[in-house]
Amino acid sequence: MRRQRTRWLALLVAFGLVAAACGGDDDESGDGPEEADFEAVAIDESDQCGTEGYTGNLAAIEAVDELTVRFTLCEPDVAFPAKVAFSALGIHPSEHLEATGGAPIDNPIGTGPYRLEAWERGSQIVLTANEDYWGEPPSIPTVVFRWSAESAQRLVELQSGDVDGIDNVGTEDFATVQDDPDLQLLEREPLNVFYLGFNVDKPPFDDPLVRQAIGYAIDKERIVENFYPEGSQVADQFLPPGIPQYEEGAETFTYDPERARQLLAEAGYPDGIDVGPLSYRAEPRPYLPQPPQVASDIRDQLAQVGIRATLDEQESGTFIDNANTGNLSFYMLGWGADFPDATNFWDFHFGAGASPQFGTGFPDLHEVLAEAGSTTDEEERAELYAQANDLLFEHAPAIPIAYGGSAVAFKAEVEGAHASPLSNEQFAAMSIEGQDQLVWMQNGEPSGLYCADETDGEALRVCEQINESLLGYEVGGTEVVPLLAEDYESNEDLTEWTFHLREGVTFHDGTSLDAGDVVASYRVQWDAADPLHVGRDGLFTYFEALFGGFLNPPPAEGEA
Amino acid sequence: MAVEEIPLGEQQAGDAEPALQLERGGLWRQALRQTFRKRSAVAGGVILGLLLFIALFAPVIAPYGEREVLIATEGLRPRAEPCIHLSVDWIPDVPVLSRAESFLEANGFSCPSDRPQHLMGLDGNGRDVFSRILYGARTSLVASVGAVGFAVVCGTVLGLVAGFFGGRIDNVVMRVMDVLLAFPALLLAIAIVTARGPGLFNAVLAVSVVTIPVYARVIRSRVLSVREQDFVAADRALGVSNARILVHRVLPNSLTPLVVQATLGMATAVLELAALSFFGLAGDPDTAEWGRMLSVERNQLFTSPHLVFYPGLMIMLNVLAFNLIGDGLRDALDPRLNS
Repeated sequence: MRRQRTRWLALLVAFGLVAAACGGDDDESGDGPEEADFEAVAIDESDQCGTEGYTGNLAAIEAVDELTVRFTLCEPDVAFPAKVAFSALGIHPSEHLEATGGAPIDNPIGTGPYRLEAWERGSQIVLTANEDYWGEPPSIPTVVFRWSAESAQRLVELQSGDVDGIDNVGTEDFATVQDDPDLQLLEREPLNVFYLGFNVDKPPFDDPLVRQAIGYAIDKERIVENFYPEGSQVADQFLPPGIPQYEEGAETFTYDPERARQLLAEAGYPDGIDVGPLSYRAEPRPYLPQPPQVASDIRDQLAQVGIRATLDEQESGTFIDNANTGNLSFYMLGWGADFPDATNFWDFHFGAGASPQFGTGFPDLHEVLAEAGSTTDEEERAELYAQANDLLFEHAPAIPIAYGGSAVAFKAEVEGAHASPLSNEQFAAMSIEGQDQLVWMQNGEPSGLYCADETDGEALRVCEQINESLLGYEVGGTEVVPLLAEDYESNEDLTEWTFHLREGVTFHDGTSLDAGDVVASYRVQWDAADPLHVGRDGLFTYFEALFGGFLNPPPAEGEA
Repeated sequence: MAVEEIPLGEQQAGDAEPALQLERGGLWRQALRQTFRKRSAVAGGVILGLLLFIALFAPVIAPYGEREVLIATEGLRPRAEPCIHLSVDWIPDVPVLSRAESFLEANGFSCPSDRPQHLMGLDGNGRDVFSRILYGARTSLVASVGAVGFAVVCGTVLGLVAGFFGGRIDNVVMRVMDVLLAFPALLLAIAIVTARGPGLFNAVLAVSVVTIPVYARVIRSRVLSVREQDFVAADRALGVSNARILVHRVLPNSLTPLVVQATLGMATAVLELAALSFFGLAGDPDTAEWGRMLSVERNQLFTSPHLVFYPGLMIMLNVLAFNLIGDGLRDALDPRLNS
């Protein structure tokens, strides 16, 4: 292990030297070469910024000393702390990453309040408390994760006392839980958006008039009122109200069937139009709790203005793949916040690096979003995102329909029970008197527990108990709080971020956390040519989405 | 249909034989009469008759359309509970009836006459469940008849050819059938639908394909014995062509077990189609189809049980009807059970 590490070091130092020699005019790295009191590691790729082969925004990571890590960015990023707090960027011990060949999928080791005890595939995941936790040790010694896709089953298990908490209470079951004195219902603030999406390259949706007609044909109130639980809202823009950049009173499509017919006639379809399949998946999500019913209702609403669609229900994985590769022309999809910043919604869908989900993007929108993402002044950003709202309304590649409320339920005796708007409930903050185990039932089983390479909330929630990132989110909220980094600072123009690690933090295997582990955890994700850039399927979707791209990206990009 | 030779196959069956021949009418009429002597078969027949009636006259009976959404029109919430108007004019004013009426009303079985009547409530999309149940009978019957019909035709042809010609043809055909039989039927059906894409037609085809081997085997085993009969030998001696022997001699004499098998197969087909559509593989999610109705609302089992109860009940009745008739037919047609 030790030897491998030294080899890496040598390589990195050599790399750094080459980079320094080539990119001498880089004035962002103001401080000179770091002193080698600690095994100083530095990956400096700042000369790659803006070049053809590199779309990313990360320029350099260096372990300045044992407890200091510095990130350098190509372009300013105001949301950098919020991104760093995301659980896909959890810190793993570098030795363990090497020992598992870059794929600690079923044996992750972290610094979190719980360690993985056992994962019985198909049945449950057992976590036990980490006695050496740096913070307040968790009061419940064992947390068990179970899963069922059926909301009725989850509720029955909770009522019968087999589990202590459940995720996503069924829309119709809110009242049942509320009326039960033995249970507590905790509503999640809707930090998501449900929208109708189009691939604007595919006819007839290549005509903006057709898309706008659909926008005016949808009665959003009817959908929210009939198919969403309490706490849900009608959407008037792509950002939900919980995101700081939300614009009050944004212009949006309102229900106006007359206008829809008129637009349709203008587009050359006075007698109505067959638009083909409306694709969706049947799996409920917080942004869309009743997919088949909503799909049927949307079809019915469209039919009333002469837009005839068929329903195309697809298997969940297939559906997402089809959407990401631009295969769906008209579909129902949504997005739940990973971190509370507009970039998480806007850039992922409509930024320059977005997937072909909506077809070839809109250059004016790309421009506005790029500017908004690198602007530091919040007022200026708000102004830019207001422009983005107008552009989305004008181009109509997506019609935001609802912000879906959802809820978790716990037994009444669970203290500290909470619902997180980011869906990362933290069990270390809970306690049950006289009980040394908490059983939690969620929708599904994680595909893997190396969350650098997972995107599913079912996996992320488990990872969040085991692994910690530099920063984190407050319990039950969206505020960014210190976790492994005690504090952090940035330079004036937000391109250089320095994080100071907490002292005396140990991993579950007893090794202590240092800056080298942080650099290694980022490096294996960042550098696609790294031998440890393996993961479960090797996509590292979130890293790419958060930072724009990989080093040494594989030549055949996109097709996964 | 040429049935004059029927009893020959049963020549050796023993002393039950003369009684059978003495009864009037052909074998089929006798069989039917025998079948409906059993009460259970009569019950099955009645249920099936009702279902057929419903299916035929669905548009006339149903108060609403198959896909008519009532959210905007009647101001009701989706999944509204059943509303039955008991105080109607045409019920005679008899004390017993009015007492029953007030009892039901007091127990929440009736609802005020100013609320629109929905015998089975509304579904998650605000559509009348009763109307959809009625239309569902069409889908279910047409699809299961289609599935079994196709399977019987294919299975019969394959079984006849394999059994009559024997040798290599027999070997090839029956080994292919064995391969098909080696898979669990529903799993194979799911595989077929997944490969061909979801849709009612593909679901029917899938259910059909997986049952072909059953019919092929039944027919073949009969053909093996029939082809050795004297009347076939006589035809051969007269120089009758193979095709003619197959169609006019072998086929009619092999039909009885097939009919029983097909009737029972209808029940299986109904169930399998319901299962496929429960999984969302049988086409348009909006079609009134019992399996689909059940699947879409399964999580409302405790909050709106009527949405799961009625489709489930209909599937059960449909399967029951075919099973009862099938059992009756089998008993009637089985020579060993005739006494």
